[in-house]
Amino acid sequence: MRPRILRALGLALGLAALLLLPRFVSSYKLLTYTRLLLLAVMAQGWNFLGGYTGYASFGNVAYFGMGAYTTGLLMIGRWHVPFFPALLSGAILSAAFAALLGLPILRLKGHYFAIATLGVAEALRQVADTWDSVTAGSTGIDLPLKTEGEFFYYTALGLVVLGIGLTFALARSKVGFAWVAIREDQDAARMVGIATTRYKVLAYALSAAFAALAGGVTAYQNIHVAPGDFFRIDYTLESIIAVVIGGPGTVLGPLLGAGIYQLLSTYVWSHFLELHPTVLGTLIIFFVVFLPRGLVPLFRAARSLRQSGERFRWRSLFANVRAHRVT
Amino acid sequence: MRLRKTGSILSLLASLTLLFPAPAGAADNTITFGAAISITGKTAKEGEYTRDGYQIALDKINEMGGIRAGGKTWKVAMKVYDDESKSERTAQLIEKLINEDKVNLILGPYGSAPSGTAAPICEKYKVPMIEANGSAESIFSKGYKYTFAVLSPAKLYLRGLIDLVKAKDPTAKTVAILGENEPFSKEVAQGAAEYAKEKGFDVVYHELYPTGTQDVSSLLTNIKGKNPHVVLGSGHLQDSLIIVKQAKDLGVSPRAMGFSVGPSSPEFRENLKGNADFIYGATQWTPALKYEGTDPWKTPQAFATAFQAKHPDYKVIPYQVAESAAAVWAFAKAIEKAGSIDGPKVRDAIAALDIMTFYGQVKFDSRGVNIYKPMAIEQLQPDGKKYTVWPEKVAEKAALYPMPPWDKR
Amino acid sequence: MAFAELSQVFVNALLLTGILALVAVGFSLVWGIMNIVNLAHGAFIVLGAYLTYALHEWMGVDPFLTIPLSMAALFLLGYGIQRLLINQIIRAPLLATFLLTFGLEILLVNLLNFFFKADLRSVTTPYSGSGFSIGPARVPYIRLAALLISLFLVLALGAFLRRTRTGRAIRATGMDIDAARLTGVKVAKIYAVTFAIGAAMAGAAGSLLSLSVPFDPTAGSSYTQRAFVVCVLGGLGNVVNVIIGATIFAFVEVFVGSRLPSLAQAITFALLVLLLIWRPQGIAGKSV
Repeated sequence: MRPRILRALGLALGLAALLLLPRFVSSYKLLTYTRLLLLAVMAQGWNFLGGYTGYASFGNVAYFGMGAYTTGLLMIGRWHVPFFPALLSGAILSAAFAALLGLPILRLKGHYFAIATLGVAEALRQVADTWDSVTAGSTGIDLPLKTEGEFFYYTALGLVVLGIGLTFALARSKVGFAWVAIREDQDAARMVGIATTRYKVLAYALSAAFAALAGGVTAYQNIHVAPGDFFRIDYTLESIIAVVIGGPGTVLGPLLGAGIYQLLSTYVWSHFLELHPTVLGTLIIFFVVFLPRGLVPLFRAARSLRQSGERFRWRSLFANVRAHRVT
Repeated sequence: MRLRKTGSILSLLASLTLLFPAPAGAADNTITFGAAISITGKTAKEGEYTRDGYQIALDKINEMGGIRAGGKTWKVAMKVYDDESKSERTAQLIEKLINEDKVNLILGPYGSAPSGTAAPICEKYKVPMIEANGSAESIFSKGYKYTFAVLSPAKLYLRGLIDLVKAKDPTAKTVAILGENEPFSKEVAQGAAEYAKEKGFDVVYHELYPTGTQDVSSLLTNIKGKNPHVVLGSGHLQDSLIIVKQAKDLGVSPRAMGFSVGPSSPEFRENLKGNADFIYGATQWTPALKYEGTDPWKTPQAFATAFQAKHPDYKVIPYQVAESAAAVWAFAKAIEKAGSIDGPKVRDAIAALDIMTFYGQVKFDSRGVNIYKPMAIEQLQPDGKKYTVWPEKVAEKAALYPMPPWDKR
Repeated sequence: MAFAELSQVFVNALLLTGILALVAVGFSLVWGIMNIVNLAHGAFIVLGAYLTYALHEWMGVDPFLTIPLSMAALFLLGYGIQRLLINQIIRAPLLATFLLTFGLEILLVNLLNFFFKADLRSVTTPYSGSGFSIGPARVPYIRLAALLISLFLVLALGAFLRRTRTGRAIRATGMDIDAARLTGVKVAKIYAVTFAIGAAMAGAAGSLLSLSVPFDPTAGSSYTQRAFVVCVLGGLGNVVNVIIGATIFAFVEVFVGSRLPSLAQAITFALLVLLLIWRPQGIAGKSV
């Protein structure tokens, strides 16, 4: 009982600190943290599908871009929809699109699914690039100017909290069990009566909705949406990286991974003018070699060691490395 | 065993990091310019030109004792970050430069897209930015008050070549245009198409291809079928190189072939060798132009000589270097006039600026665009050199027209 | 489409096929045998291109003669990377190797940028751009040679995998790692050789590409993407599949590109997705 109270207290304190943060930092830092949170939102979306059901999508940026364009076009279009309804519409539209698309492409497995999602993202980018009458083509669209950094920070924070809550609730529900069952063995899951398609489509739609939310907020903050910037595969890659660093299929992994990746890469580029990708690449390689399963599983292992009365030693870490080696 | 090995690599890398100390902060009699430029990524080369151009002007100002303004003499310095050729990174870097590094003024990034991202942030903090490398007019249609560009707008890039062909060859009637689908090149292509029609040409082909295209043979095959007299390309260096190579492969031989970006940079000839001959390129500036400025270099030739002395590895001086140096010089003059480094005051001084420089006239219209400086056209000729051939009154040499077919040279 | 144009488009597509197959074959091998999606594959290709450039520009070696050298160099690099890094985590979840190769890619690209600068390079020889005509279509010598060399290398790899002891060990490991181990195959070493061969093929592709496409350090990622698509189109497990995948990709890309250049990738990918839905294992792949 007591550890649970402690954990709740810790979470409350953490949240309070995050809420008060904008009072104490420069607007540059605030922007960096906002970017971090938006990456976490996208990573949380990716985690529903990639982490829990084991379907690695390489095209989540499709929904990031779709969310950005929907939000932007609704805001500047004839109706001048306010930001939040526009953002929500983007998320709903993306989720609906993903659900429809998911029905056929979620039948594909592994890398074939990955390449199909990548293809969808590329195709959407070119549609945005050439559909001059709606998206203004490669020139892009301009959203109304809004410069209050706090607004974007709190919006992003709200989305992250929503993501954590939703992941937590779903992971412990029937849905979460179905997802994990699909990841472990899809045929077995089907045999025990799980409607695999329905659960996979749900995960895909959720992941699209979160990507779209991140895209919509980014669009409003960036005030300019162009295909070259909003359909960049880097967004997909970064969200995958965040999940892998934190630990796929965990509640806090995406946020943790996004935090580490964003702060690390920011530190690296602000200190190494020419060679920052080399430094970042090296750090990533070492991270994977030592922690191939991400951070959250490491913490779990440490905790279970502590509970059985043992101390966590470096040796345990190296044992973790050895377990994945081939000789 | 293996772990020990990786451990030693790690410590080696850790010691590497000591080789790159963070630069010291600005002293109080120094004006620090902030710049977010591409050092890695797609536009890294152009970013290098931009950075070298800024730096030579800053060095020159310091050599001459600095900027005198408000009864004080200021030294100048620059703080640079790498935008990785990603415009969404630019916002973060400009925020950091203004907010954390407390730079006084902003020198623009390379490219239209990042310049567009930087502009609203400069607006928010009332920090003026003079940019030297973003000429898409879309940046300037939004009413920003703190963003200025010393270079001629995109739509003008290829006009000179159309005028040149018109003057040389009244029988030339058809133009084919192929451009990269990104804001700047799209505007160049549009501008060229409109102007060609205005001048009585028939635009028989006008297509955009996606950024990063590495094979244009299908487009060129299509163009070959139309047999146009003039082929115009608006893209970046890589695109121009591919188009020339594949035009030769496929035997596409128009009477004139020209590009918005590419031929002015030294890599164009290095990559294409003799195949670069007879190709035209639009340029913001060349060392051969005949300007007489009030700046420390005064003439284009003197600037080129001074730059070459510092950077012997440049075989040709790309215009990006000149326009970047001109941006710094415009700032220096504006600060002098304003007598202060206060953002709004410098901004007003820039808006009122009208100076003649080695780079040409620097003066901004109400949007902040320098429409007063003309574009020029260069041609690479078989003697291995590059000559300014248009506008006629500043031409070094007559253009060699028409371009001989590929199989007869 | 006029006949002249049609025949030229056909020739263009055919010439693209070979080089695409070579670009994809190493990627396919590494993916098929070890289940690694190597994001650094494009960086290996660019590395091969730079090696050819350096040997040609600084030492005057004919670019075609540099192919064995860049293959050898990439082989060693690939062997080392697999032995020292990837073998450490190959039994971890798939995404771990994915992340590792991502780190490797940004590192390699940045080092190339640092040492060679961001200048665009290309290898130009006296015979660049010359060619002959078949009817109305032009065939450049260099691209024809690239087609032939590519096909030779791809088929040679196929023969190697089928005929030699090492080749058979590689295929056995790919099918069932435990069974292979029982028959005395040293898996760690076989994995390293497999990755090394994949890298060597990338090196050869880079050397050939340097002759026809200008490149800079960032040119690789688009080749990784194309290799990915070619593998999916053809299906894994056989070099012939790679050639089939490359042929389909080249023809779709070139034909769509000649009609609707600005939508070329969109249409290519849309066809790809439809194809996958119709045949989830690729066109040539066996359905399980």
